[in-house]
Amino acid sequence: MTQIISKMKSIHWNTVMIILMAALVAVGMESCNKNTGKMTRKERKAQIEMYKKQLTEIANGTSKLTLEDQEKVISEAISKNFDDPELNNLIIQAQQKVKAVNAEKQKKEQQQIATARAKLYDLLVNKEGLSADELEQELNKIKAMEVNDSEIAELMGRLEKKIADMRETLSGGSITSQLEKSFQSVVDNAKSGNLNQANSLIQSTISKFFASEDTPVLIIISKEGSIVDYDKPTTIKNYLNFCKDQKANRNAVDSYQLDGSGKIKELDLIKK
Amino acid sequence: MKKTIGIFFVLILIGSGLAAQDPGDNLSPQRKQAIDSLALEKVRDLSKYISIIGDKKTQWSEAQRVIERAVELFMPNSEIGVSSLSRPDVSYFQVREYFDRLMQLNYDKVTIDWYKIQYVSDLERQPDGTYVGVITIFQRFQGFDAEKGLVYEDTTKKDITVYVKRKETQIGGRLIGFWDVLLGDIRVKETSK
Repeated sequence: MTQIISKMKSIHWNTVMIILMAALVAVGMESCNKNTGKMTRKERKAQIEMYKKQLTEIANGTSKLTLEDQEKVISEAISKNFDDPELNNLIIQAQQKVKAVNAEKQKKEQQQIATARAKLYDLLVNKEGLSADELEQELNKIKAMEVNDSEIAELMGRLEKKIADMRETLSGGSITSQLEKSFQSVVDNAKSGNLNQANSLIQSTISKFFASEDTPVLIIISKEGSIVDYDKPTTIKNYLNFCKDQKANRNAVDSYQLDGSGKIKELDLIKK
Repeated sequence: MKKTIGIFFVLILIGSGLAAQDPGDNLSPQRKQAIDSLALEKVRDLSKYISIIGDKKTQWSEAQRVIERAVELFMPNSEIGVSSLSRPDVSYFQVREYFDRLMQLNYDKVTIDWYKIQYVSDLERQPDGTYVGVITIFQRFQGFDAEKGLVYEDTTKKDITVYVKRKETQIGGRLIGFWDVLLGDIRVKETSK
């Protein structure tokens, strides 16, 4: 015990206290830095270098970041306020570069919009008489340009509707059903003795759907392989009067051909 | 020998080519049935036309239009027989004259109905490619007076000869093969009350 006491007396307590205090200051500073989020000099230097590298790439146009991310990098570098002259210079260069790239991008987009608009108007008018499939191919090319513009979207919608209408017309959907309805209406009016109405319907059907009252009408009576047998050809006027006279609608629309103005120039019927 | 075989094959080819050119030959049962039905349909069409022409309510212009359609159903110079219970003989008139007389019958109201329309002799192919058959019909005729009502009626059995021939025409650049059905004479077979 006496040995321990004599050893403790031999320690230089002044030196120990200084070391302890220095350690406490060091630990205190470290924890203080962590709590306030302040960087060490080393970290600050590293960050400055990182921003310099990124900003240099942006300024040189070699950055692989998106334009939006490049803008983020620049605003982050500004907000850090590193007060580094070289970094500040790079920030200005990067800002100028991004501004130029944005202007170029906008210019390109405007050109694409103008090109797409002109093309879409041409397709809507369809002066070249393109088919529905050909129109769709052209529309897909415009879609591939990925133009983000409300007018272009509206024009594309109109063109899509036009293509759908053309297909419906070609497939015989609406014209066929309207023709069938007209034929049946003529018959129904004749059956009920309303001949004036039947005659009026005959006239309106001819003027609405047919190139002329002499448009040929062929009636298929039999189909066997490649051999198609027809009744004697007639005209649409005579056929509609025939429906009225016979008070019967014995044939269905099989197919038709349209002329340039969308009127039927030839009608094929088939026995029901 | 080789020359003979060559000529033989050429003849076969020509023969098969000619057969292929005329789709009216060797009709399948389905196609034959289609033309049988077509011919019957033409007779039924005629029956409707006759009732329209004979109907006193039909306007003159409308009757004229229907007469044109009805005349088109017949072979040129065909005749239609007319009988009456009041006389034993049968009078024959050209088709157009028959329709004109029908339109002017001296009744206030006329009804004409055809029924039991059927083949008595099936369509048979003739050497010239025309199919010929006979269809029989029964006609119920009634004549009305405005005051006295029904003043005359009879039922007549009539035979109609039908001619069906395949023809071709060009429409819109397409070659169309169609069956031309034409009616011949309408002969009175018997008349009864």
